[in-house]
Amino acid sequence: MERGPRSLRVGGFREWGRRAVAYVRQTLAVRSRVEDQQPSRRGVLAAAVGAVALYPIAGCGLFGDDEEKAPPPAPDPLAPLLAEARSLAGQHEAAIAAFPALAQRLTPVARAHREHEAALAKVIKAPEPSASASPDTSASPTPPAGDAKSTLAALRAGEQKCQKAAAQACQAAPAERAALLGSIAAACATHLEVVR
Amino acid sequence: MSPEALATALDAEHAAIYAYGPIGVRLDTASAADARQAEAAHRTRRDALVLRLTALGSSPPPAAPSYTLPFPLTDRAAALRLATEIEERTAAVWRAALPQTTETDRATALAALTDCAVRATRWRRRAGVSPATVPFPGRVT
Repeated sequence: MERGPRSLRVGGFREWGRRAVAYVRQTLAVRSRVEDQQPSRRGVLAAAVGAVALYPIAGCGLFGDDEEKAPPPAPDPLAPLLAEARSLAGQHEAAIAAFPALAQRLTPVARAHREHEAALAKVIKAPEPSASASPDTSASPTPPAGDAKSTLAALRAGEQKCQKAAAQACQAAPAERAALLGSIAAACATHLEVVR
Repeated sequence: MSPEALATALDAEHAAIYAYGPIGVRLDTASAADARQAEAAHRTRRDALVLRLTALGSSPPPAAPSYTLPFPLTDRAAALRLATEIEERTAAVWRAALPQTTETDRATALAALTDCAVRATRWRRRAGVSPATVPFPGRVT
């Protein structure tokens, strides 16, 4: 039992694991001496199970050790823009649902933001495709407050914000991302021509 | 910084300026005013490109004496279609310049791409084309 080579690979736990096993055995040994007066298979079985169970726990490194110390990856600088595209798509979809008369104007715009979202997720390599594949889970935000006019004003503000964010991201981006971000910024500018 | 990308953009601007001549002739008054504004914007871009390329020690490509139009401009609809196409093509050239530029040159390319995309959308609206927008302006599909 003490040898369990796989489970004890992890440095700091070797000693801890041994001590823990020793402790369990000691405890169980005392208990089984007590139980010796009335020998019980259950006690012996529990001792075996307890000792075995400890190894996998130690081996999994549940308590943190060298192998687990890789820092989480820093968020991609385009993550905020991805969130913005998703939010804006949801706002357009909500506006369409609330004001069907706007559907013809807003549907292509909503679709464009969904395409931006998908393209950004792909570039970031975020585990996002499921989010864009099922828009109704992410995109049933609160229905727009106010009338169609104020809804359009809010959407225009969102497009302006998105254009600015995409332009800044384009300016700061490495070459391989510049064209996509430029197109997104330009698309938001064109949306202002139709969202009115 | 790539002078080639800017030289390509300059070629496109030369062609756009040329095309707006015959386009304007076929348009109604309101659209013709838009065409004049568009042509002026392309001239401004052209002049800036000539200066920039010269500053980079590269000789700016001159305009061709004339350009072949992709289809005959027989009426207003054809003129609006060509105007849209001109803006789409110039947008594509400026978009292609983005990865090859940095800092001020990239800012210029982005502003130009955005202007072209907005004008293309306006021309589509005038032509009654729906949708008037595209998801990725300048992307060649």
